[in-house]
Amino acid sequence: MAGKEATVFILDLGRSMSEKQVGRSTTDLDWALDYVWDKITTTVATGRKTAQMSVVGFRTDETHLAGVMEDEDGYEGVNIFTPLKQFLLEDIRALQEKLKPSATDEGDVLSALAAALTLIDAATTGKSGNRLKYDRKVIIITNGRGFIDAADLNAIASKAKGDEVEITILGVDFDDPEGGYKEENKDDTKKENEATLKTLADKSDGIFATLAVAIDQLDIPRIKETRPVPNYKGTLTLGDNQNYDTTFTVDIERYPCTMLAKPPTASSFVFRTDLGSAPGPSTQSSNTVAGDDHAGGDLSAVRNQRVYQVDNPDEPGSKKNVELDELERGYEYGRTAVHISESDANVVKLETNPCLDIIGFVQGERFDRYLAMSRSHFIVPQKANDQAQLALSAFIHALFEAECYGIARLVPKENKAPIIVLLVPRIEPDFEALIDVELPFEEDMRRYKFPPLDKKITVTGKVIEKHHELPDQNLMTAMNDYVDAMDLSEFGRDDDGNPTEYMKFEDTYSPLLHRINHIIRWRATNDSYTELPSPPQILLKYSAPPADLVANAELEVNKLVNASGVKKVPPKQKGRGKRSLGDREKPLSGLDVDELLGNLKRVKIDSANLIPSFKQALAATDDLDAIQAAADEMSTAIRTYISSSVGESGYGRALEAIRVMRDEITELEEPEIYNKFIKELKMDILGGKLKGDRREMWWRIRGSKYGLIDRKRSFASEVSEEEAAEFYKATRRERERHL
Amino acid sequence: MAAPEYDNRPGDEEEEEEEELDDSSYKTIKDAVLFAIDVSSTMLQPPPESDDKKADRDSPTSAALKCAYQLMQQRIISNPNDMMGILLFGTEQTELGDGDSTFQHCYLLADLDVPSAQDVKRLRDLVEDEEEAAELLTPAVDPPSIATVLFCANQIFTTKAPNFSSRRLFLVTDNDNPAKIKQDKDTAITRARDLYDLGCTIDLFPISRRGHGFDRSKFYDDLVYPTSPSDPDAPIAISANTKVAQSGDGISLLKQLLSSINSKASPRRALFTLPFEIAPGLRIGVKGYILIKRQEHVKSCYVWVGGEKAQIATGSTSHLADDTARVVEKGELRKAYKFGGDAITFTADELKQIRQAFGDPVIRIVGFKPLDMAPLWANTGKATFIYPSEADYIGSTRVFSALQQKLLKSKKMAVAWFIARRNAAPVITAIIPAEEKLDENGEQTMPPGLWLVPLPYADDLRQFPEQGDNLKTTDALSDTMRKVIEQLQLPKGAYDPSKYPNPDLQWFYRILQAMALEDEIPEHPDDKTIPKYKQINKRCAPFLEEFGEEFEKEYKLQTVEKRKIISSHAKKRGAAAPEDSKPPAKKRVKKEAPDDGGGVGGLTDEDMAKINDKGAVSKQTVVVLRDFLKARGRDTTGKKPEIAARVQDYLIGKGF
Repeated sequence: MAGKEATVFILDLGRSMSEKQVGRSTTDLDWALDYVWDKITTTVATGRKTAQMSVVGFRTDETHLAGVMEDEDGYEGVNIFTPLKQFLLEDIRALQEKLKPSATDEGDVLSALAAALTLIDAATTGKSGNRLKYDRKVIIITNGRGFIDAADLNAIASKAKGDEVEITILGVDFDDPEGGYKEENKDDTKKENEATLKTLADKSDGIFATLAVAIDQLDIPRIKETRPVPNYKGTLTLGDNQNYDTTFTVDIERYPCTMLAKPPTASSFVFRTDLGSAPGPSTQSSNTVAGDDHAGGDLSAVRNQRVYQVDNPDEPGSKKNVELDELERGYEYGRTAVHISESDANVVKLETNPCLDIIGFVQGERFDRYLAMSRSHFIVPQKANDQAQLALSAFIHALFEAECYGIARLVPKENKAPIIVLLVPRIEPDFEALIDVELPFEEDMRRYKFPPLDKKITVTGKVIEKHHELPDQNLMTAMNDYVDAMDLSEFGRDDDGNPTEYMKFEDTYSPLLHRINHIIRWRATNDSYTELPSPPQILLKYSAPPADLVANAELEVNKLVNASGVKKVPPKQKGRGKRSLGDREKPLSGLDVDELLGNLKRVKIDSANLIPSFKQALAATDDLDAIQAAADEMSTAIRTYISSSVGESGYGRALEAIRVMRDEITELEEPEIYNKFIKELKMDILGGKLKGDRREMWWRIRGSKYGLIDRKRSFASEVSEEEAAEFYKATRRERERHL
Repeated sequence: MAAPEYDNRPGDEEEEEEEELDDSSYKTIKDAVLFAIDVSSTMLQPPPESDDKKADRDSPTSAALKCAYQLMQQRIISNPNDMMGILLFGTEQTELGDGDSTFQHCYLLADLDVPSAQDVKRLRDLVEDEEEAAELLTPAVDPPSIATVLFCANQIFTTKAPNFSSRRLFLVTDNDNPAKIKQDKDTAITRARDLYDLGCTIDLFPISRRGHGFDRSKFYDDLVYPTSPSDPDAPIAISANTKVAQSGDGISLLKQLLSSINSKASPRRALFTLPFEIAPGLRIGVKGYILIKRQEHVKSCYVWVGGEKAQIATGSTSHLADDTARVVEKGELRKAYKFGGDAITFTADELKQIRQAFGDPVIRIVGFKPLDMAPLWANTGKATFIYPSEADYIGSTRVFSALQQKLLKSKKMAVAWFIARRNAAPVITAIIPAEEKLDENGEQTMPPGLWLVPLPYADDLRQFPEQGDNLKTTDALSDTMRKVIEQLQLPKGAYDPSKYPNPDLQWFYRILQAMALEDEIPEHPDDKTIPKYKQINKRCAPFLEEFGEEFEKEYKLQTVEKRKIISSHAKKRGAAAPEDSKPPAKKRVKKEAPDDGGGVGGLTDEDMAKINDKGAVSKQTVVVLRDFLKARGRDTTGKKPEIAARVQDYLIGKGF
């Protein structure tokens, strides 16, 4: 797709560009720059070396021709800021300083254009004078209020045409009969200039438009096109052509049909610490090493280092580091390590040959749409193979007529795992193809069961048809009317104003992808800022029903809301008072287990049955002393788990007990009981008071986030979120002191 | 070194896709299942002799053990990090591993842990070797009470799987009233409550004694809880009520047990809980579940072979600054985007702002369309199942049900804006209704509900590969092909995933198991995805032949016309499409597919063989060799020596 490009931006920097026009809050130049920066940063983001750009200013204070023109005569007020080159971030930053309105109105746009054409010519001509394959473009942005010497217009236009340079002229407040814009009280110079530039565009087969149109289009996300690359070239076969005479075999190629476009990913960096003497300007360090992982300025790339450990056979309960060359490849079978020597590496691989073999056919209407589990592919006949074209066409139409899909086994490459694909005919006005999507194997299905939605079945097996969880006739009717009222299949309008599907795939743009691209580009030209811009409106267009449609369906919406009678459950009413025994879960029979046990007022904590007895003890009482006593016993048990742990053997139990205690105490709204406990536990662990080095236990508590209960978690807590976060962090200091 | 992160209460298994994976994190721990199998004289009683091939031959205990064996092997594949244990109760022998004799007549056959090869072997021996089984499976004179068994399970769960989020006791018994006196029953009820408070679920697999039945209400309804303590507001499946399995009921006891146990094989866990905005001002609560997901085999790992026993080495990663090789704490890391040879940085807060600019997680209906506006070609990935939950909005179920029924009736779908969780990218999704599906025994095979099928954005659509002016079929030609299609319908005209195990996955684990158990390595894979060629030939040959004739006619007609237009060109085409691009369905002699490969892959087999004879294969460029292999559908990856070797292997295979 992407060939070589040479683009020159010719920008009007005249004094009059610093003015603001009626209805705009920015100067003409800043407005024009919105467009220029967007175009430049979009190109920079692709990182393509073959996309070269240049920026030329006219009506500038200084004249600078960079040696492009031999003689400055006639080129006064033209400034070639950058020759044609691949732009980098530093070029953008450098240019930003320079693109300011000048103090003059002297300088001719046609001179700048002549310089630009020479620039392009020089950069896109081969050694032997042949014209290289390039997309050549000049984009001129001006308010048309300078002086234009139109004497050479015809020569310049034919030069551009002859060199295949596409000229786009974007004028600030130029009249746009199509868009219906007309500037009032336009002065005569501008009127004349507009006409001159229009002639230029016409004579060079260029484009002439008003800037507002171009700026409007900036918000429409641009879609990256990818060249189709086949990922399977082989045969589509029905039957076994090795052992049987009569088979159906077609040479085909398989290309992606859908493929999720991924947003760019961020890499990890760390601030340099070796800046030493004085942190130099970031430009200094940013171009020496142009490696991929290189980050300029005060950031350094991050490398990952892996360390491998095994249980130390000589010292049970401890680990030892092992070197990579002591390790071999293997797999886990359950918890058994199966080691496979290098030479046996292929033994676990199923040997397969590439194929697309038809297993059978299914009826389209009996196929469950949700089974398709992958992106889709096109299957088309081998290029320039007449027989394959005719045969595949017959197959596609036969499937279509029979309303059937094919089921086939696909091995795209030798020794790749076979997959089962569904073959679906797709016949469009301008092409036809077979589409494939992957289907699940037996192992890919999770057989969870869910109760029916249209009836209730009791524990005893009785079927109930009236129930508060089943819709009544009123709700069914309301839903029926609502769904029909909100139909989108003809809500859209095509270019001719005819009804068409609303929210077609090609009208929707990946919000996150374009949001991230947008913000990176924005950030490239905005080094200092107070807040990030919000996403362009077009990315949010389909996040809610269209307002017109909702307005039309107001009646149906209201009826549905009333008929549904949905109530939001208020945030849980927690607290001691609410936790009565009656609320406890009951077994299937509905038996009140607590009553059976005589509604004990005090349950003793049993260390052999710690968690259940702790929960039961809390459930039985609402006396604060009793709760504290139960917590104390938990605390003792937890310490015992830790201090008697051989290696890490008791840590899991301790951690689970801590979790239960934290959850239960939070629910009782007595966070202080837990917070006191966990503070003391941390001190004891890090202070080495639990028989040895138990820091590992602390790391687990920290990793599980079982620290202080803060205000966010329980309103009764006096611990702020910052304090709670600090509680985890403080350990680093402790640990470093330890080390 | 940075402190390893521990993940002990995973509730967000799927969330990892979004988050950066921390290599140092411990295995994500999931589910622990303890089988408790009753060993009593009735449980050991073999079924009556029968000539029927399908008749039972297993005693209930042995059927239960077989189930456990099968489940163990299956879980090693599907849930490689999950634990499983097997406890026999009522055995003459007592054995709980560490010399503990608190629980008399309880025998811990496999301790609760991630199964090892030894555990599988032990179980297999017991299932396959009757003598060994007979020795162990002797009922005790004075069997333990259910209370004892439950407390024993309590202790096993507490010590072996202390912080697992899902812990389940699978109780297999034929005794519907094991308590002789009320006090025994009360103790059992207390112990069951303890288990519930501990966070463990009891799943009862009842077996009917011959002529006796199994009445849950006598005893077990007081022990079994309808909700799961780890997920209290999950919709209650049709039952905690597993069907009572019984002998001599058409299908074998083993099959019945297997089917009940399989349906509980993996604990159900919601992927997300979200508000579902059906209309402006109308929100209900739903939970999302992943019911379809490609099961992959375990990734290879490093094994340390320096000691007596091979050991898996666990890796941890630390970050180093590239310039100074200084160890960097995770908190110091900054995220930056590469742009124009430089890095563009944002603070953590800004990154959050950028990603979360699209509002809170929600499923919001934008409107409705006919079902066919989500065509299969627009598929981009797997669908997610949603089901109502009353936890946040009372009345969710009835509204959801009304919507599902209306969509089914009108063959419509909703289109919705879907953000699965904070930080997740917004997705446009079709919401497609699904009916409940039952098998012939009335067991649910597909649940009723709605499916979220992600739709593509304009950015996700790839362009159609350019085709020339292709030949097109005629109605007569398509009609002959249609007859073939009608002949080859799969059973019931539908695709049933359960008929197709993943051949690669199965083979991988068969080999791995054989290696782990030091068995002989099997030689032939069982691949159910290979078409039934014989049947295809039998059913379709005459129709294919008819198609072949029609095709020849039509092909000649169309190409003659084409040749008239571009006569010189057609010849060229003939060369570009080699002899081998077979006229479909012509009677032809057996021959291997790309035999003469003339033109397409550059060199012919003969040419390459000649080069090989001169010892000059490695003198060819990689491009030439790759093209040669590619034209023959062979692997073209790797370095030059590997590619050259593959070319030579190919030639040897061809007899050159």
